[in-house]
Amino acid sequence: MNKSELIKTLAETNDIPADEASVMVNVFVDAVKEALLNGDRVEIRGFGSFKIKDYGGYTGRNPKTGEVVSVEPKQLPFFRAGKELKEFLNS
Amino acid sequence: MSGKTLTKADIVDAIYEKTDRNRAEVKGIVESLLKIMKQAIKKDHALLISGFGKFEAYDKKARKGRNPQTDETITLPPRKVVVFRLSRKFRSELNQQ
Repeated sequence: MNKSELIKTLAETNDIPADEASVMVNVFVDAVKEALLNGDRVEIRGFGSFKIKDYGGYTGRNPKTGEVVSVEPKQLPFFRAGKELKEFLNS
Repeated sequence: MSGKTLTKADIVDAIYEKTDRNRAEVKGIVESLLKIMKQAIKKDHALLISGFGKFEAYDKKARKGRNPQTDETITLPPRKVVVFRLSRKFRSELNQQ
């Protein structure tokens, strides 16, 4: 399922206009993104949680050419599925 | 790192401010959204949210494990797990030079 299908399903399930469902999904996604961009945690009961993990930089090598490259430090979000989501998937 | 946590209640508030609905209605719709997301992950094995990322469900095979306390060997059953892969756009937003 993609975002537009998610919006459509949300609108139909709740009998609300598609425009409104679109605003809701976008506000939801933007709130999660903004929190992670601030370095905050996100915890959605029943679904899962996100946190930002910091990865340090290192000097690597291009295995094909042997060339030395420096890999910059980076921040990546890490998602942990909640108990309810895990149980739902495995039921 | 500011140590703050965004919760479902914060998300309900953010949506409440953008619509003409009361909080209870918004809460119900957010629960419905999460339910649809969970069903999509289960049914389609993937939920793609452009600009954010993709939730993917995949199968883990059964494997032998051990109870570290009793040393007893057990077979862990096959199960489904979810991973989140962030989109290129979100990755670059997080790692602006």
